[in-house]
Amino acid sequence: MPDKFLAVEDAHVSFGNGDAQVRALRGISASFERGALSLVMGPSGSGKTTLLSLLGCLLSPDDGTVFVDGVLVNALNGEQKAALRRTKIGFVFQSFRLLHSLSALDNVCLGLEIRDPKQPERMTTARELLVHFGLGDKLNHEPDGLSPGEKQRVAIARALAGKPPILLADEPTASLDAEAGRNICQILRNQVEQHGKTVVVVSHDSRWQEYAHRTIILSDGQIKHQEQVTNS
Amino acid sequence: MKLAWQNLLHDRGRFLTTVLGVSFAAFLMVFQGSLLGGFLRAASRFIEASDFDIWITARGVQAFEFGATLEARVQELASGVPGVVETGRACMAFAVYRKPNGKQQVVALVGADPNLGKRFPIPEVAERPEDISPESVIYDESDRSVLETLSLPARVEINGHRANIDHEIRGFGGFLGVPALFTSYRNAAHDLGFPPNEGMYIVARVGKPYSVADVQQSLRQRLPEVDVLTREQFAHKSRMYWVIKTGAGSAILTAAVLGFLIGLVVVSQTIFANTMENIEEYATLKALGASRGFVARVVIMESLICGAGGTALGLAAAIPAMRYARSLIPWIHTPSWLPVIVMVLSLLMCALASIASVRSSLAVDPGRVFRA
Repeated sequence: MPDKFLAVEDAHVSFGNGDAQVRALRGISASFERGALSLVMGPSGSGKTTLLSLLGCLLSPDDGTVFVDGVLVNALNGEQKAALRRTKIGFVFQSFRLLHSLSALDNVCLGLEIRDPKQPERMTTARELLVHFGLGDKLNHEPDGLSPGEKQRVAIARALAGKPPILLADEPTASLDAEAGRNICQILRNQVEQHGKTVVVVSHDSRWQEYAHRTIILSDGQIKHQEQVTNS
Repeated sequence: MKLAWQNLLHDRGRFLTTVLGVSFAAFLMVFQGSLLGGFLRAASRFIEASDFDIWITARGVQAFEFGATLEARVQELASGVPGVVETGRACMAFAVYRKPNGKQQVVALVGADPNLGKRFPIPEVAERPEDISPESVIYDESDRSVLETLSLPARVEINGHRANIDHEIRGFGGFLGVPALFTSYRNAAHDLGFPPNEGMYIVARVGKPYSVADVQQSLRQRLPEVDVLTREQFAHKSRMYWVIKTGAGSAILTAAVLGFLIGLVVVSQTIFANTMENIEEYATLKALGASRGFVARVVIMESLICGAGGTALGLAAAIPAMRYARSLIPWIHTPSWLPVIVMVLSLLMCALASIASVRSSLAVDPGRVFRA
């Protein structure tokens, strides 16, 4: 019996109507192992981001089922999905999506506030996370004052605030130079190794293959190929 | 809600514009509210200054300022109604006043019997409040420059009759646009040319154990050709006449509502623009799992911060402005509760203004976070 910790089963997703309809996912089934870094690759339009949106409870399939932390997402309403995202999932985006008016520290604090508004030591926790990622001297910098690599580290710190068991990353190294990209790859890999997180990375960047436990290649909304990476 | 603060402070120009917009609206509401408050108070001031329970007027009289004479028998008949322990007379009409320098001026001449009430402006003889000084008139200090009395006492003429201006009083500045002179009923009736013993307003005091309502009913039965109103009823009727039936009151009301609407539009526009500018961030918040309540709170908080800041600024500006306005408009009056009402209205206005923004922020699709 397949693990339903994080999975999609026979998922179909279409956008648009009539002649303009695009079938983003065509009956895709995939299960993502707990405590592993899974890499989803494929050309543009292959359905990578749509798959990530399903796993992140940000999109509902036209047909098929989605499980997150063993919960059948299809049956949940908007607020319940938000609650699931809040407690179980951390997001890392290509464009970082930090709140421009907040400092690095406040961005991470916000991640904690959304998850638990009553948590008394948000500041301390956020500071510790940023220091851990080498941003101790950039705590009060706003996003505009940070390099792309620093922004992504702040975004990862925000995603990890509240200790969600799942991390979903969309092209997390696409906007970074080589060194910063490797740094991010290592950080996410460490989350799996040291904290048992389940990480799903969608990327065109082939560097990820050396950090991933498993690679899924999508094409035209279907799984074209998947393999367990042995050198990880 | 640090995010709300930071969003506002990040665009200081827009924040300042919003705060100024709200402060303008709050200022306008205080000013118009004071005009309205003062207008209402002035419209029934003479009626409420008497301490009699019942006012008898000619049929259809709408306000104290526009009375008509009553036959002498009305007072006699009213005095005979059980429960009426005392009656008095009052009148008001326009007259021509000749200033000490010989120039003429239209004035409102108000006359009353000495028993009408301690608050009613009547020129009493010093240390003998039961007596009225003969040929004596008084006026409100706000009319000093119009009446051109360089020193007191001053000899003047009213409708060709001699009069002495004894002293000034405060708190009875007129809103009719002409100065008011106060004198005894006897003097006023004489100067205005009323037939002997006729009255314009007959007031009646009700004695125990009779109730005002019962005596009012008895008076209506005894005097079916006139209007018999309690003091409160006549005051209310007078206020409604000035506020509703004349354009002046409606204009003040309209301006007060306009102030509210201007603030509403300014805040609404700014908060909406701010929300739309940050719509991607609201999508991010939702993607991160923020509840609808959390997202709505950020928007509403931004609006309320603008509201509180703007109202505080508007009220602070209104204090010296109202002080100055009182020197120009003597009847303007700011009730102590008005600033509280304006604060509540301003915050309500800001909450209303944020509705469209809240809807937009809640409607944003969190799935757009993956579209780079």
